Amino acid sequence: MILDRASLRYLLRHPWLVGLSVLGVALGVAVAVAVDLANESARRAFQLSVETLSGRFTHQIVGGPNGLPESVYRRLRVDAGVRSSRPVVEGYARAPQFPGETFQLIGVDLFADAEFRSDFGGLGTRAAVTRLLTQPATGVLARHSARRLGLNAGDTLMLSVGGQTHSVTIVDFIDAADPVSRQALDAVVLTDIATAQELLGMRGRLNRIDLIISGDNSALLERVRAVLPAGTDIVRAEQRSLALDQMTRAFRVNLTALSLLALLVGTFLIYNIMTFSVIQRRALIGSLRVLGVTRRQIFVRIVTEALVIGLLGTALGVALGIMLGNGLVERVVRTINDLYFVLSVREVTLVPWSLLRGTALGLGATVAAALLPAWEATRAPVSAVLRRSTTEARARQLAPRAAVAGLATVTLGTMLLALPSRSLLLAYSGLFALIIGAALLIPWATMAVMRGLQGVMGAGLGVPGRLAVRGVVATLSRTGVAVSALAVAVSASVGVGIMIESFRHSFVDWLTATLRADIYVAAPVIHTSPSAATLDAGLVARLAAVRGVAAISTGRRVRLDAPAGTTQLFVLDTTQQNFQSYQFKRGDADSIWKLWQGTDAVIVSEPYAYHHIVDMGDTIQLRTDDGERAFTVVGVYTEYGADEGRVTMSRRTYDRHWSDRAITFIRIYARAGTDVAELLARLRGAAAGHEIRIRSHASLREASIEVFDRTFAITAVLRLLATIVAFIGVLSALMALQLERARELAILRATGLTPRQLWQLVTAETGLMGFCAGLFAIPLGIGMALALILVINRRSFGWTLQVSVEPMILVQGLLLALIAALLAGLYPAFKMTRTPPALALREE
Amino acid sequence: MSEQINSTAGPLVNIRGLTKTYQEGDRQRVVFCELDASVEREEIIVLLGRSGSGKSTLLNLISGIDLPTAGSVTVDDVVLSALSETERTLFRRRNIGFVFQFFNLIHTLTVEENLLLPLELNGALDETGHAFARELLLAVSLADRAQSYPDRLSGGEQQRVAIARALVHKPLLLLADEPTGNLDRDTGQQTLKLLQRLTRDARATLIMASHSTEAAGLADRVFNIERDRLIRLPGLERRGA
Repeated sequence: MILDRASLRYLLRHPWLVGLSVLGVALGVAVAVAVDLANESARRAFQLSVETLSGRFTHQIVGGPNGLPESVYRRLRVDAGVRSSRPVVEGYARAPQFPGETFQLIGVDLFADAEFRSDFGGLGTRAAVTRLLTQPATGVLARHSARRLGLNAGDTLMLSVGGQTHSVTIVDFIDAADPVSRQALDAVVLTDIATAQELLGMRGRLNRIDLIISGDNSALLERVRAVLPAGTDIVRAEQRSLALDQMTRAFRVNLTALSLLALLVGTFLIYNIMTFSVIQRRALIGSLRVLGVTRRQIFVRIVTEALVIGLLGTALGVALGIMLGNGLVERVVRTINDLYFVLSVREVTLVPWSLLRGTALGLGATVAAALLPAWEATRAPVSAVLRRSTTEARARQLAPRAAVAGLATVTLGTMLLALPSRSLLLAYSGLFALIIGAALLIPWATMAVMRGLQGVMGAGLGVPGRLAVRGVVATLSRTGVAVSALAVAVSASVGVGIMIESFRHSFVDWLTATLRADIYVAAPVIHTSPSAATLDAGLVARLAAVRGVAAISTGRRVRLDAPAGTTQLFVLDTTQQNFQSYQFKRGDADSIWKLWQGTDAVIVSEPYAYHHIVDMGDTIQLRTDDGERAFTVVGVYTEYGADEGRVTMSRRTYDRHWSDRAITFIRIYARAGTDVAELLARLRGAAAGHEIRIRSHASLREASIEVFDRTFAITAVLRLLATIVAFIGVLSALMALQLERARELAILRATGLTPRQLWQLVTAETGLMGFCAGLFAIPLGIGMALALILVINRRSFGWTLQVSVEPMILVQGLLLALIAALLAGLYPAFKMTRTPPALALREE
Repeated sequence: MSEQINSTAGPLVNIRGLTKTYQEGDRQRVVFCELDASVEREEIIVLLGRSGSGKSTLLNLISGIDLPTAGSVTVDDVVLSALSETERTLFRRRNIGFVFQFFNLIHTLTVEENLLLPLELNGALDETGHAFARELLLAVSLADRAQSYPDRLSGGEQQRVAIARALVHKPLLLLADEPTGNLDRDTGQQTLKLLQRLTRDARATLIMASHSTEAAGLADRVFNIERDRLIRLPGLERRGA
């Protein structure tokens, strides 16, 4: 169609405008796709490894901190006659000869296992199986892992578990059948069950027992329950996977939300560009309408143009997203490993659904951004469309009304955020309303600022200064939208920046208050099995006797699995003085200490209290060795260490209900006047022969902050990307505005404005708009940060954070807008001073 | 209060009790008040009047671009104000051609494509349509510029393209709003003659708003818009009209 040609040529004649909008969409889509791919890759890797390594099972029997006695398995098979069952012994081990490598050690009952998993079908040769069964400390590796590590059959692999190092002889290799198994089997060592028990220090015990119970065979389930001793429980298979999936859900949701923020910024920029292109073509649209082009045809035309930009931007964005995803997946996995569980993902999986979602988001956002300008283009009467002055007069008239609507929307957003709810959707709706409301307020606020600046600009720059101020107000239909879009773009960077800074501040403050001991001793812990990482009981006495040690406190970290979910239990043997390091939400440490020392009392972390809806005085149920017991919550404390929350109880209470006497860590308090470095050396000497980590207060603090920074590195990357989108947005929008004023500027040149004055006029005008965008981005950014910190983070993780507004972040936001704006003026000013006015004055 | 343009049976344009007011700040500006007028088929009418007298407004009301505050405009027995926005657009597309002071060509389309656009909108982009467009280009002496873009043409050339575009779909009514306002005297005169000739050839009706008394010389009837009334100026009309 001829009209299509007209549209296409318009786009081709404005390569800057189109190129920059395509880039805006592309960056937004790229960030969304990359985060989605990284999240999905991690989630899939997790699911696949669970499926491949665990095989199929319907139920699991779980025990206490030290698993289950082996005898339960015997009773299950012999007394209850449950044939479809298998014992599971698994854990994690470090390989000292391959620094940074962590292996999953899986003990396989070769007789019971066949029914559960097919992937281990090719478990080496018959001879290898015999050796696994008959020779202690033998294992099998995936062939591709062995090749990567340069290990051959007969080689020894050193494995370190809970501070003890063992050697395992590799007797054979498994060939991964497909890429899925290949990924799942990477870094897995398979051994006979007895070997695994030996290596993991679980002689006579199992981690759990897997069952296959077809259908809803309640009779069989009853038989199983009948033989289970107290302290064990039966959970459905999907509950366990779900619990692990849930653990990272908030983290993933937040990443996705942040990536969508980048897309929202992109959408605002597209909106700006589409509005600009419509306003610029008002006369043309008027001509077409006079010729008989219907409103619908105009609407379709503009939306189609947006769709073309959207398609180009989305295609580029998806490609960029895949590249970016490869970079992000490593960070996402590292965060998951730091915070939740061990996961091995070496490359991003191209999940079609993620790519499809990214495409839909890109196209959807572009079309959504174009709807309003397209509607606006068709709404005005043809006679008005043909008159530019009407548009501007109307824009100025509308500004106060839009401001009132904006104020109402901001109020609505604030109310939505303040509603006592746990809904994240509601919180994001509130945030969105806040942004839209602010965007509506900004054109009016721009007019107000311009009025305020008129005198200053006139005094500073003379005629160009006055013209610049008037120019911004006179073309409010274009400048108002541009300043709004840019302020939103910059505010996203400011808001996320404040959020990260507040988080870091809260975390560091908490760390300072919590880390009171001088030296920390722990067995190397791998996240999934903190219960397994224990310290030798004799070591405690040896370390306590070292010269310079004033006091020690010990602790135990335990994970309790139950049908209702997993509980992270923290057991402390400490003094009242050291208990002061806890910061309680209510009540003082001394009175809580007294209650905590009492019968069956616990304190819980803030995220735990939030997620489980418990408060002081409530009771929680925990599965002890003697079955379920109620524990009274006597305090809720601040903690930023684990987002799933923690329950802390005294050693005395723990020992009353659990037979486990193991210790996971020791805190050492130095005698006054003792040199901590020397004490550290003496302690290391006393612990010689044990593979344990002894760290000073400073080193642990540093390591903790490092983990924190690593965790937030991905958020910082997203912030940077949103900032780049904002920067490009400011640049493109303002540059386009100036380039399209060529004729007007030529008239000014012809009237007598010198090239220097023209420079001043153009840069003053873009500078003013950049200044306004940066200025308005500050309160909006702070508002966004408050919503993110006080509402969204609280609802996602249960944390209360101190809001900390670093002035530098605000200055950065203002500078970002200002520099981009000033840069945007350079090219148009340069172009106009080089073009003879007569040429520019020619009718286009 | 009103001036009867023509009262013969079956006029193409019938204006009855036409009132148009605009809100300007706190006060209302009356452009026309209960105006009655009619235009016969194949007539050429010129509307004179100072700037802001309402010439363009009257053309906008006759084309259905704008709606009267009161009264009605009937074109070819169709009451425009009774039509919906889309119906008015479709009516305009089929029956009316426009020529503007600033040409209003589509700058992203070539001269030929500008001419073909109304045909395409009317679903008449067939071989006959193409042939007629070529014929019109010849008639306006721009056959060799068919593939040029409007910004490569002079003002006079652009206006000739606009005239050809206004006639290409064989409208009943041609509305021209200061078609020579942006041209030099000689080019303006040539353009007016061309417009008159092509209108006559097409047996269309032309209503032209203009400042130029030369334009009046080509008209069957000439009216001046004064205050909110139409005053006929027979002395300026084409001799023998």
